[in-house]
Amino acid sequence: MHPSRSAPASFRDRTNEFRAAVESARRHAAPSPAAASASGGGGGPLDDSLSAASAQSEFKNRASRIGLGIHQTSQKLARLAKLAKRTSVFDDPTLEIQELTAVVKKDIGALNNAVMDLQVLCNSQNESGNLSKDTTNHSTTVVDNLKNRLMSATKEFKEVLTMRTENMKVHENRRQMFSSSAAKDASNPFMRQRPLVAREASDSAPPAPWATDSATTPLFQRKKTNGDHGASSSSTPAFMQQQQLAVQQDSYMNSRAEALQNVESTIHELSNIFTQLATMVSQQGELAIRIDENMEDTVANVEGAQGQLLKYLNSISSNRWLMMKIFFVLMVFLMIFIFFVA
Amino acid sequence: MALSLRKKQLDLITRMLHLNQQQSSPDGGGEGEEEAYKILVMDGPCISLLSPVLRVGDLRKHGVTLHLNIDKARQQVPDAPAVYLVRPTPANADRIAADAAAGLYASFHINFSTSVPRPVLERLASATAASRSAHRVARVADQYLDFICLEDGLFSLAQPRAYVSLNDPAAADADITAVVDAIALGLFCVASTLGTVPIIRCARGGPAEMVAAALDARLRDHLLAKPNLFTEAASSAASSFQRPVLCLFDRNFELSVGIQHDWSYRPLVHDVLSLKLNKLKLPTEKYDLDDSDPFWVANSWLEFPEVAKEIEAQLAKYKQDVDEVNQRTGGGRDGVEFDGTDLIGNTKHLMNAVNSLPELTDRKKMIDKHTNIATALLARIKERSLDGYYRCENDMLENGTVDRTMLLSLLSGKGTKEDKLRLAVTYLLSFEAPPSSELEQVEAALRESDVDMSAFLYVKRIKSLNTQFAAASSTASRSNIVDWAEKLYGQSISAVTNYLSDGRQLALTRTVEALMEGKPNPEVDNYILFDPRAPRSGTAGQFRGPFREAIVFMIGGGNYIEYRSLIELGQRSQPSKHVIYGATEILNGVEFIQQLAELGQKAGLGSGGSNLPSQ
Repeated sequence: MHPSRSAPASFRDRTNEFRAAVESARRHAAPSPAAASASGGGGGPLDDSLSAASAQSEFKNRASRIGLGIHQTSQKLARLAKLAKRTSVFDDPTLEIQELTAVVKKDIGALNNAVMDLQVLCNSQNESGNLSKDTTNHSTTVVDNLKNRLMSATKEFKEVLTMRTENMKVHENRRQMFSSSAAKDASNPFMRQRPLVAREASDSAPPAPWATDSATTPLFQRKKTNGDHGASSSSTPAFMQQQQLAVQQDSYMNSRAEALQNVESTIHELSNIFTQLATMVSQQGELAIRIDENMEDTVANVEGAQGQLLKYLNSISSNRWLMMKIFFVLMVFLMIFIFFVA
Repeated sequence: MALSLRKKQLDLITRMLHLNQQQSSPDGGGEGEEEAYKILVMDGPCISLLSPVLRVGDLRKHGVTLHLNIDKARQQVPDAPAVYLVRPTPANADRIAADAAAGLYASFHINFSTSVPRPVLERLASATAASRSAHRVARVADQYLDFICLEDGLFSLAQPRAYVSLNDPAAADADITAVVDAIALGLFCVASTLGTVPIIRCARGGPAEMVAAALDARLRDHLLAKPNLFTEAASSAASSFQRPVLCLFDRNFELSVGIQHDWSYRPLVHDVLSLKLNKLKLPTEKYDLDDSDPFWVANSWLEFPEVAKEIEAQLAKYKQDVDEVNQRTGGGRDGVEFDGTDLIGNTKHLMNAVNSLPELTDRKKMIDKHTNIATALLARIKERSLDGYYRCENDMLENGTVDRTMLLSLLSGKGTKEDKLRLAVTYLLSFEAPPSSELEQVEAALRESDVDMSAFLYVKRIKSLNTQFAAASSTASRSNIVDWAEKLYGQSISAVTNYLSDGRQLALTRTVEALMEGKPNPEVDNYILFDPRAPRSGTAGQFRGPFREAIVFMIGGGNYIEYRSLIELGQRSQPSKHVIYGATEILNGVEFIQQLAELGQKAGLGSGGSNLPSQ
């Protein structure tokens, strides 16, 4: 009856028993023609809510698609993290990492948009439609849950990127250690340029990520001019020297690019820290609440309210009877009065 | 292989929440293809069952958006599946059928917390067939989960007043059988959650034997069907090779533990501030006290004054850490050099500081929480002079001596009526034959304080009638005690209290230790043994130990004091053994003395005039 399972079952499935009991109950309750219409009649209660159901099911489909997307993205992120952790100098799968990074970035962007759309749909449905309170709670919670999962995926992505840049720096150092001759000439201009890079970073730190574009452009210009200077200063006709300079330029460009990446990432981190601080407070809300937290109080309150209402109802109805009685007595007195006077 | 009851229960509940679908892989990708967002509907007892184990955040993680009470009016959520976890009562079946008829949810996955009896299932089937909504029911399953797992090794069956029902002189046979069956069903759930068939040992006579027989019968019936819950559990890798021993005890075996005052943190909180389901409700606040609170886990068995010192130490450490964080970020800002790498390093400092903020706030909250609890405790202790009660009871139970003046002064001094009653009953229980003059003085003091005497008189009567009681005082060494007790009581069990260097050992602990060791021991040799796996006839193949794991069950009301002594037993054995403790309900001294008073009144022993001590 039960297929063998690898995980411990420890529950008894009574569904078949239930279906059998339903069948026998159906057979007892009504003869065959009614049974034939059972399937049709079963759709009755559904028809009323069919329109609402179709709108809801679109919500549900979208939500499940987003959930699936997040799940797949986190799997890709796991692969990316594994790749980025590799620290061998000469076997750097840079291209693969960059491709994967681009794909993940696109995915996250698309998922973000999808979640925003879902939120809009949810809000519109909740406000316009005549849905029950439970349904609105349900949809809101679903959207919140998806947002949380997307945010954790994004955080993971950021951590992977940080780890990647650190590893790249480690690679750089090792490469410089191994190829020290080229490094000596390359390090001097590198060191000369560092204060410039740093000064630019200090100016651009306050305006946060959006300013990096404006910060990089003067740096790029400066890089070009330095490169030109380098090229013009060493314009002696030695071909080897020119080649060396070309190599040096490439290596400073690379190292400069890396330094820029560092700066950019740190600026991003700073901005994230501040947003984190802002969201930290709001997030703590639901996680630690117990399930039976408000149950007793609410039940007690509801029962108390019910009791009060019943009492009030009683008092009203009894008042009514009292009033009627008093009215009749008054009428009787009036009649007597009229008889006596008139 | 340690049995962690709580983890196993959590696994089962998680699987139920994922609609009983196969988990594809145990880590990360275990969500399967698509995760539906579901609604969880429970009834009152099942909410209590889940609340120590799961929180709302955990529910959200498993995709549950709303958790509702079945008895409250609910509204339609037409596109979500609903998971029901309810007790198999006819009322619940009717409500589920009503929900199905109204089409509140898209599909219904109905889980009963224990085995649903056939009549209830048929009632549900006929009701849904009549309203033609049976197609909405996707699954009906029995989850054998009907016990509350408060901690890793502590569970309760939430069967209130079992002691009263079993000891009531006017109880009908049918009632007692019903109670015994309910307890056996609860124990069956525990055994099936653990996935092992235990070997059952209990004393002769009394409720323990009845429950053991009922449980044995139930297990045998279940094992006849193959596959059954236990074979499926055994096929998975996470089962232990050895079978545990299930020791059943009746509360009358050692009555004094149920009512005595204790001086450690956890029993004090349970007793004085009434901890229920790991939830503590003070007049101003509510607190949770469970495994997620590291201070509680580390310090809850310490004596109260040491706990206060620990809180202060933690507070000092917290202040130190906060200062350190301030220094790193505040002072660092002045000295930062705007150099490439240092910028990164500095940001790292800042990031670390920011990341450590939540941890620091949590620690501060925890320290505040325990400070408030300790303050409330201290206020009550002073008000009721509980330290005096503790010392007096400890003297009586441990040393067998009583300071008459202290006893009488306490009885006429501070303390609630329950405290005095408990002290008096402990006095009664610690001495085999108290001198009648003293006894009269004690009774007079009680009457003066206007205390309801029913519990006292009840215990007095039982003591005189029943030879199974714990009453011997001891000052000699261990072996002497066993000989002397054996002489006095013969075949019945003598529960003696021993004075060991590291504190008093409860009779329960000694008996459990003897049962687990499996060596011939005159105390436990005439305990009955039930083995559901062995053939009925003959005593061949009866395995008497040694056991590595034990489940100890107290019928009638358990206690944190017993729990602690069992934990200590597990820790000090070589190699360390694992003991799980459970009871029909976890009672503190106040509640238990009320049950005794109720029994006294039923037996017609209540003194006229004063009412039951108010709660």
